[in-house]
Amino acid sequence: MNENAARPAHKAIALGVGALLAATLPWWAGDQYQMHLAALICIYWILIAGLNLVVGYTGQLSIGHVGLLAIGAYTFAILAGKVGWHPAVAVCASGALCGLCGLALGLPSLRLPGFYFAMATLAFALIVNELVLAQVDLTGGGIGLPGPVFPAPFDSPKGFYFLVAALALAVTLLSWNIARRMWGRGLMSIRDNPVAAQAVGVPLFRAKLVVFVFSGVTAGVAGAMFASLQSYITPDTFVFELSLFFFVCIIIGGRGSIIGPFLGTVVLTALPELVAPLAKLGHFFYGLLLLTVVLVVPEGIGRMFELIGERLRPRAEHHDPIEPDLARLARALGGPR
Amino acid sequence: MLTVVVTGLAIGMLFAAVALVYNVMFSTSKVLSVTTGHIAMLGGVFGAWFVATLHWPWALGLVGAIAVGAAFGWATELLAIRRVLNRSDEHLWLLSTLALATMVQQGVGLWWGTEPKPFPRLIPQDFGAGALDQKFWLPIAIAVLMAIGLELFYRRTMYGKLFLAMSEDAFAARARGVSTDRIRVMSYVLSGALGGLAGFAAGQLTFAYFALGLTLTLNGFIALAVGGLGSNIGALIGGAALGLLNAFASHWFGGEYQQTIAVGLLMAVLLLKPEGLLGSKSVRPV
Repeated sequence: MNENAARPAHKAIALGVGALLAATLPWWAGDQYQMHLAALICIYWILIAGLNLVVGYTGQLSIGHVGLLAIGAYTFAILAGKVGWHPAVAVCASGALCGLCGLALGLPSLRLPGFYFAMATLAFALIVNELVLAQVDLTGGGIGLPGPVFPAPFDSPKGFYFLVAALALAVTLLSWNIARRMWGRGLMSIRDNPVAAQAVGVPLFRAKLVVFVFSGVTAGVAGAMFASLQSYITPDTFVFELSLFFFVCIIIGGRGSIIGPFLGTVVLTALPELVAPLAKLGHFFYGLLLLTVVLVVPEGIGRMFELIGERLRPRAEHHDPIEPDLARLARALGGPR
Repeated sequence: MLTVVVTGLAIGMLFAAVALVYNVMFSTSKVLSVTTGHIAMLGGVFGAWFVATLHWPWALGLVGAIAVGAAFGWATELLAIRRVLNRSDEHLWLLSTLALATMVQQGVGLWWGTEPKPFPRLIPQDFGAGALDQKFWLPIAIAVLMAIGLELFYRRTMYGKLFLAMSEDAFAARARGVSTDRIRVMSYVLSGALGGLAGFAAGQLTFAYFALGLTLTLNGFIALAVGGLGSNIGALIGGAALGLLNAFASHWFGGEYQQTIAVGLLMAVLLLKPEGLLGSKSVRPV
């Protein structure tokens, strides 16, 4: 009882401290590079929050979201840079276009079973890369495009950080809204047992399509911010391994949770930058991490902490022994003869 | 025009060989491993290392490449399949094989370098042979031989029949006293050896390149899905169709849209005939 009451309070305190740290980050961050890293984490999280609904909740293993990220980034760079739209409008356009691309990709491929779907999304990522290289007039081919900056007050690292942090917060709230209500339960039921989900009236295909389009929109917005942050984008920026990175963040954080993948994103983005030997190993490290997690704790690191917690502080077991009421039992069985 | 056809057939037969490797693994474990293309990549890279760098005779290099492939197939079963199959979640094998594939690709990239390196010439032949060059007919011959060999293996040998029994119904096979775990390990070792052989044979066509694995995984899968899952003849037909389509597409439109066209073929087949050309219809159990 006590523990149950204490846990939400713990959570609220942890969230509050985290929010305070994030809000005051520009004043205690050591240098420009750490600000850049914080903004990058926020941008990745914008994408991963959407992808989490697809991978973590619905169980559709999309390994091609880097394609959507690339489309968003190039749309923003072309519209805001070459055509000269206002960056805010260009961000909206990126989100909308990627939502449409998500629809176009999801309509045929979401009908396919697991491995087929994964291969279709992988193929999508490779196709986007191919088209970006082929359309030299539009995208600059292998040379790339400059990513335009936002107008004041978002042109400084501090302003830009607050912009992406606000966007990340908004996307988190949106995905939390989907996840905690009936929709989230429906999505999880699709992941765990599609036949049962269909039997109780979850519209399988429509639900999958809606979250996939949502993840497309978030990927588009993330791509636009990414282009602006990196200030120059080439096809080499959007390698397939980046997709794997998004994927690993979600799987490590645990499927069917929002805070887990968020922590995964923060740790996995920051870790290779802070620990130099890991950066050299690069994506090998992500592969190793994914394999370890799948083999040891397929439910994610969060589940491992729960298990350790239970081991350290075993739950008090209630013993309410019931004495059999022999006389009543005898009556119920037909009484004394 | 002849060169276009031969190029297409050669690359298509490489895809077909990868599809055959998929088939061997799928028959015993019902797993489509992401590492399939990486086995062929290892065959090519290690073949080039053995023959060109260590100056082994090419026959010894071939044996070495096959051994590396078989070892990797065995490692795949050991690390990524065995533990995961015991759990009920059907997507876990996709994650574990994807993780292993990434590790192998990045590991080879770190060790071998990220540039494609030339594969040595195996048989003395003039470079002006054109369409009769060994880099074209080697992969074609190997893929056809592999398909014939697999058919003979399935029909004529005891172990082949055990593979078939497991692909029909693994539980029933186990109940009849088949050691299904050991047969599964054997199938992975066999598929690794075949993949290493295919990668070695096609080395002169593809070069020894660390990022080849993912492309082969995808294209081999497309060949398999077009031809029909589980069918060896279907894999050959699917691979040939995919390779020819690729070659003619790059002949007419230029090489930029190969992947787009390949996936277009896959989508068309999946929409019209979801089980593939020669596949058997699967009925969803409820």
